[in-house]
Amino acid sequence: MERAGAKLVTTLIYSLLFSLFILFFLSANSYSADIGNCLLCHKYPGLSRIDEDGRMRLLFINEEIFNSGPHNKVKCEGCHTDITEIPHKTAKKVDCLVVCHIVEPSSEQKFSHKDVATSLEKSVHGTYDKNGVLKKFPEDMPACKDCHDEPLYRPISFFKKVRPGFLEQALGRCRVCHKKEEFIQRFYSHVTTRLHKSRNPLNIAEMCGRCHDNAELVARHKLSTRAAFSYGETFHGKAARFLSEEIPDCLDCHVKEGKDVHQMRNHEDPESPIHTDNRGKICTNIDCHPDASPKLANYKVHSEFNREQDSVQYFFTLFFIVLTGGTLLPLMGIIFLDVVRRFFPHATFKRKG
Amino acid sequence: MKLHILDHPHPLIVVKDGKKYFYRFTFDQRIQHIILFITVIILVLTGMPLKFHDTAWSPYLYAMFGGIKSAPVVHKTTGLILVLLFIYHVIYLSYNIFKEQLLPVKKQGGLDTAKVLKILAKQPLVPNIKDAKDIIDLLKYLLYFTNKRPEGAEFTWKEKFDYWAPFWGMVVIGLSGLMMWNKVLTTKILPGWTINFAMIAHSDEALLAALFLLIWHWYNVHFSISVFPMGTVFLTGYLSEELMVEEHYQYYVEVMTKAGLENEILPPHGTDIHDLEKGRPPQ
Repeated sequence: MERAGAKLVTTLIYSLLFSLFILFFLSANSYSADIGNCLLCHKYPGLSRIDEDGRMRLLFINEEIFNSGPHNKVKCEGCHTDITEIPHKTAKKVDCLVVCHIVEPSSEQKFSHKDVATSLEKSVHGTYDKNGVLKKFPEDMPACKDCHDEPLYRPISFFKKVRPGFLEQALGRCRVCHKKEEFIQRFYSHVTTRLHKSRNPLNIAEMCGRCHDNAELVARHKLSTRAAFSYGETFHGKAARFLSEEIPDCLDCHVKEGKDVHQMRNHEDPESPIHTDNRGKICTNIDCHPDASPKLANYKVHSEFNREQDSVQYFFTLFFIVLTGGTLLPLMGIIFLDVVRRFFPHATFKRKG
Repeated sequence: MKLHILDHPHPLIVVKDGKKYFYRFTFDQRIQHIILFITVIILVLTGMPLKFHDTAWSPYLYAMFGGIKSAPVVHKTTGLILVLLFIYHVIYLSYNIFKEQLLPVKKQGGLDTAKVLKILAKQPLVPNIKDAKDIIDLLKYLLYFTNKRPEGAEFTWKEKFDYWAPFWGMVVIGLSGLMMWNKVLTTKILPGWTINFAMIAHSDEALLAALFLLIWHWYNVHFSISVFPMGTVFLTGYLSEELMVEEHYQYYVEVMTKAGLENEILPPHGTDIHDLEKGRPPQ
């Protein structure tokens, strides 16, 4: 009996140690909100299928990437609300406006992106105009996922200079009050990531260009320019092409200071930063050209080689095109004739006397 | 052997290994040309990736100059050197014309506007009627209406083109470049849209200049079989007798006559040796 009791205690101790051992290793990877154990299947890189439209759908979730993004504390079912059992049927598209279980700390309310959708609806990208009338082609207006994909944290350090990564000096100050390392790093990432843009100017221009350079959409909405293309022809656009992160992109000029990107207005709206009366303030921003005259903002960012848009500029450009062709083509003709002539140096139609 | 003519500071004809070489460019001019082509090549290499920013090669070429952080600095610094060279050249040219041509006339007490204009019009690189005639004669030669090349003067129309095209280009590209570099100052005086025009002028004129140099100038000084792989006059300052005969026959005869070498004057380029043997005059 005593022996059986000792055996039970030994078993309990081993079980406890084993449990602690398992917990220790699991805790190292405990960011994930995979309560439903979705990664049991979705952790496999090859997991994919062909959908009804014949397109390949990759269903693999890279846990490491997911955990380094702001949605890492949202459980899968928080967004995929239609999935209630495993194995599940074809999941519906995620509705970004769904109320998730996360509590927004300043209001202590359950979090949702609904306010963003409300802002967007009132902006130039809304489906209704100022008078509440449904715009033509409302389906062309962007929804959340037309511009956003799963964002990643890109924490920055700024001790003496700004650089990517975590700043141990700052984390040390966090640790004075906060003890949970996972929380400290997540909160730090959240705050510092929001201090810089998640996309570089080229990515932003390309994103806007998906609609604004689409010839069909430009014509349908009577837009005066292919916006990302014409931006690309400016020095800002060219610098963006060579991956400058300091150069202004679409949002720096089209979003009013202090407002967010979802509140972008039409250029004729007096609230828009690119309205004629406000435009001067954009270029003279303290980080851009603080000493500039407001006249600098009369630079035509979205000019194209287009007679209807600006006939003077059109003919000015045409002059150089004609000058180039008019200079080079005759000279190239002379070179060609000269090359041929050198094979027949004495040939002539003229009769010898 | 070196043949000096009059009070010319350099021997106009140098004979080396039995071949004659004719003086063309001063040391100062050759240094100016070397600075010019080095700066222009760097400017083309750092400017064209911006003009053709959406091509596959542009990021690689730009990266060779340090990418977006350094390449604009290289471009602006090189551009500034070229602007300074241009200013130096204009001063150099004006000073030489004043000292050697205007001042002697002034000392004689007869300098007025008409005389100044006449002196300027007679500068060796100023286009004239003979250039138009030479172009027509060259076309006749190239189209087989004659087998006689035009007899070029000291500077042919090709060289005048090579001189005035970059001269005009440097004014356009230099001014527009300075406008864009100092856009804040420019737009304190002029409206912002002038920067659009500056950018078009800078970029399009630069493309024209680059193509002109790569195609036309390089053909004449590198790729033509007369000079391939490279003419050396830009380094030595002296041109071979063969090329003098081919391109500057009128001037060649003048120099040879002045040097008292009339008996050694070669026949014009393209003369059929069989004609000479048969005693026929060159065509």
